Amino acid sequence: MTEKPKLGVYVCHCGINISATVDVEAVSDYAQGLPNVVVARNYSYMCSDPGQLLIKDDIKEYGLNRIVVASCSPRMHEPTFRKALQEVGLNPYFLEMANIREQCSWVHQDREEATAKAKNLVAAAVAKVRLLEPLAPREVDAEPAALVIGAGIAGIQASLDIADAGFKVYLVEQSPSVGGRMAQLDKTFPTLDCSACILTPKMVDVANHPNIELLAYSEVEEVSGFVGNFEVKVRRKARYVDVSKCTGCGDCAEACRLANRFPSEFDEGMGKRSAIYLPFPQAVPAKYTIDPEKCLFLTRGRCGKSPKCVDACKPGAIDFEQKDEIVSFKVGAIIVATGFDVFDANKKPEYGYSDYPNVITGLEMERLVSASGPTGGEILVDNGEEKIVPKEIAFIQCVGSRDQSVGNEYCSRVCCMYTAKQAHLIKDKIPDATVKVYYIDVRAFGKGFEEFYDRVRREGIRYVRGNPSEIFKEGNKLVVKVEDTLTATPREDKFDLVVLAVGLTPRSDDRKIIDLLRLSQSPDRFLMEAHPKLRPVDTASDGIFLAGCCQGPKDIPDTVAQAKGAAASAMIPLARGKVAIDAQVAEVIEDTCRGCGFCVSICPYSAIELVTINRMGNMVEVARVNEALCKGCGSCSAGCLSNSIQPRSFRDRQILPQIAALGGIE
Amino acid sequence: MSEQFKPNIVAFLCNWCTYAGADLAGTSRIQYPANVKIIRVMCSGRVNPLYVVNALQQGADGVLISGCHPGDCHYMEGNYYARRRLKLLKELLEFTGVDPRRFNMSWVSASEGHKWKEVVEKAVEDAIAAGPFDQFRRRQIGW
Amino acid sequence: MDLDKLRKTAAEVVSRDDVKYLIGWRRGTFGYRVAPHFIEDAAGVDELIFSPLCIANLANYLTLTEKLPVPRGQEADTRKVALLVKGCDSRAVAQLIVEKGIKREDVVVIGMPCPGMIDWKLLAERYPETDVAAEIGWKGEDFLLIRGEEEITIPRAEVLAEKCRLCRHPNPVLSDITIGEAVEPWAVAEDSGVAEIEAKEAAERWDYWEEQFSKCIRCYSCRNACPLCYCEDCILDRLDPIWVNRAVNFSENTAFHLARAFHLAGRCVECGECERVCPVGIPLGKLNRKLARTVREEYGFEPGLDPEAEPFQASFKPDDPEEFIL
Repeated sequence: MTEKPKLGVYVCHCGINISATVDVEAVSDYAQGLPNVVVARNYSYMCSDPGQLLIKDDIKEYGLNRIVVASCSPRMHEPTFRKALQEVGLNPYFLEMANIREQCSWVHQDREEATAKAKNLVAAAVAKVRLLEPLAPREVDAEPAALVIGAGIAGIQASLDIADAGFKVYLVEQSPSVGGRMAQLDKTFPTLDCSACILTPKMVDVANHPNIELLAYSEVEEVSGFVGNFEVKVRRKARYVDVSKCTGCGDCAEACRLANRFPSEFDEGMGKRSAIYLPFPQAVPAKYTIDPEKCLFLTRGRCGKSPKCVDACKPGAIDFEQKDEIVSFKVGAIIVATGFDVFDANKKPEYGYSDYPNVITGLEMERLVSASGPTGGEILVDNGEEKIVPKEIAFIQCVGSRDQSVGNEYCSRVCCMYTAKQAHLIKDKIPDATVKVYYIDVRAFGKGFEEFYDRVRREGIRYVRGNPSEIFKEGNKLVVKVEDTLTATPREDKFDLVVLAVGLTPRSDDRKIIDLLRLSQSPDRFLMEAHPKLRPVDTASDGIFLAGCCQGPKDIPDTVAQAKGAAASAMIPLARGKVAIDAQVAEVIEDTCRGCGFCVSICPYSAIELVTINRMGNMVEVARVNEALCKGCGSCSAGCLSNSIQPRSFRDRQILPQIAALGGIE
Repeated sequence: MSEQFKPNIVAFLCNWCTYAGADLAGTSRIQYPANVKIIRVMCSGRVNPLYVVNALQQGADGVLISGCHPGDCHYMEGNYYARRRLKLLKELLEFTGVDPRRFNMSWVSASEGHKWKEVVEKAVEDAIAAGPFDQFRRRQIGW
Repeated sequence: MDLDKLRKTAAEVVSRDDVKYLIGWRRGTFGYRVAPHFIEDAAGVDELIFSPLCIANLANYLTLTEKLPVPRGQEADTRKVALLVKGCDSRAVAQLIVEKGIKREDVVVIGMPCPGMIDWKLLAERYPETDVAAEIGWKGEDFLLIRGEEEITIPRAEVLAEKCRLCRHPNPVLSDITIGEAVEPWAVAEDSGVAEIEAKEAAERWDYWEEQFSKCIRCYSCRNACPLCYCEDCILDRLDPIWVNRAVNFSENTAFHLARAFHLAGRCVECGECERVCPVGIPLGKLNRKLARTVREEYGFEPGLDPEAEPFQASFKPDDPEEFIL
């Protein structure tokens, strides 16, 4: 280094967030005495305009060339201060932050100890910053296309927004039709508009949009690359139906030897479908699919003399020779909208979900009241003896939510309101029914929710505060055993139908997407956002965003809002056409590299290769880094025996002084 | 020792999981001992095992390394390399008689603020039990 | 041991156009000494020997002598190097191939199944060296010392080198030409040296190694003799950054030895050269063998057996041991 380091150290009070525990004055005095420190100051809010100005003015006045900011986590404000440096012509990488808030003042109470630790952290930052090197942020082109995974309402909305803005969208859905959970719903709370009526047009739009390539009945197989340049491979599963020929007439499903033999997933198992099927009448694409696990021909190799679907299909669309197909493409951003599962009511055996046919889940109730459902919208239940129109109906809230015994501490946010809605719909269809709702608390927090809750209570729905302990059968009635906690009286109420308001859970197949995209999970096992307040649709990986219930339980308006947010964020690199690539990538010191290739084996991104160079007359192999692929993790460096590959800003020569400073023996 | 020994512990945390988890502990105001001082690296795979030796030589009484849970590494595989390398280092240190309580390694995710507190408490407790590591300190050269 | 066949083969090999030279052993200048022998033409084979004193691992020269700067105006000599190897030496060659220190096609490996080598220090203790030239060979299980008129049968256990007692691979793991019959691998002794230390309390272990490392004069012989410590610019020599101070004291010595042993974890082929050359008698082999055992027993891996293997420290398995992680 030719230039002598001239350091400025800035200790932030963060209001009193830091200064209440750390003696900031003492820390800046201490910093003033450290080697190469020209100026050390403390200030109430370093990140504020005047705070940044302080740094900028000092850089100009004292000719500072290295800056230490002791404040919050670098994960919070490193970009802020880098920008400040850049604005006065200093390389933005000449900055080191000492995290004296999240990792000091907020976690310690003893002022003396916290101050001593803050000094230590500042000393380590000073030791490192002197040895930092100037780096140039680089930019690469971004592919003006997005991948959206999951075609429920979140994925549909995000795709439409991005496509409408003029970018290409690949919308991948693993089931045969788009629509997701919303398609299964009858009416939506609190406005009671018909779910299908507002969703179906959007489903048709994604299928017809010139900018959207819909890959239904497909799964993402592989994702590599980085923001702006993700390489994606998608498996298009064989439908055994030529979609270009299928007209969706349904003759095949009627003809199928196993017609209407299998529980329909869409109807939550209450309706039936054939081995060749359309999940539901409004399915998009309106193309039939053969279930390879059910079809006689595919499982046993023969189906009578010839498969009936083949005979029935006039356009000749059935194609048993069809194979899975891998589609590859490149995108600049990815939106994960994989949705949720409903809680498995069998995990609460005391409610007898699998024992009594007239104990059903909320989602089953949706199908039961739906005009497109298995009963055509007529509420009919099997009480074990006969099909009846239930007159006494109970709802039990918080099944699988707010329940540590099943590992779900969270509130599912929609059950209170869907219960109110379903109670209303029952009253509408069976006016003489009595409906009771057993609840812990009623959470009616959204726009129009409280009003709706009031309305259903005025309609005669009875709310009983208490968490039922058991459901058992007596005659042809179900008995709900519960303590009314408002009057402290135990009761046993009799019903024809009990609806369990099951909560939302992370999808059981989330693991695949987590592994594919290196996502994190929150403690509730939903996918984790980059920051709970300020980056709620981002993930820790640049260019990958979350939308809808994969991130946590949400109602439809919140899901749509998040989808629009994710779409807007995803479009930033697409619209700019460029993305900044971190400059903190690895560099090979060719003079000492032995060409052993350990780094090549280690690199998870295949960013390193061996190249032959002439070293003093000998042709030798040395490692070389492809900077566009390197992510700067540094695993190569720790595995290099001659330490000949070093991640910039995290070099051994930059880290060892930090260790020495923290170790404390000079 | 009239006063209780306050060990000096140097920790290497990966940026994506444990460093974020330690930040979360801060945001959640989870209190823990002030003995652990953190060096941020991008990945636990960046931690050269010789850093541990160096830290012990330069004044640390204990060293803690923490990264993402297996399968959760932001860089896919870095923590697997860290696990293999640091296991070997741990065996070597134990064999040469370094108190095993001077070296801890953990997986702490970005959402495990509480686990971070527990890990810190364990590391501090261990280092107190092991005592100051003066025998191994880098000596000043004077003539 | 068919010395004639060895010399004949060696003569053929060095006469080949594509072979630069052959590295073997010859009698040293005094007593029991044996020296490396670089043979460039057939005339040199007369001095070539293979005896129980040929304990040195010549694989070291594959990286030591190669890649020296080529004088201006000259071309690099890219012909093959021929090398005599015992079982342990062949593992070093295999590991060097894994680590791209040498290409398989650039070396002619002449494999010598090894009936066991003598620890020269033990021998010299019992039968002090004299200026009478000594011949040593194998006699069945044991060794035969011929010195002038004297013929002494030395029981194997008396002078067998420790590494040979623990040897699992006496036959070369790779070779282009093999001289002699493969030997039956003998019952491997328990590594009592490592077990003994493991049985101690931590503080006793520390004291043991404190005594050992305090003896170190930092001559770096251990590093230089190791066929796998081949970095031309060792990090422990570097001044920027400084990993280990140059001062010779217990702290720096310990840091040096920990670094050396760690760098060989999953790579050491247990040829024992580090310990053999140590002028102050630090039992360095124990450090290496401890880690080699961990790698073998807990990861199911032995380095230097398969030249196509993934380097141990540059690979992983998802289910690697992690019981030590909180």
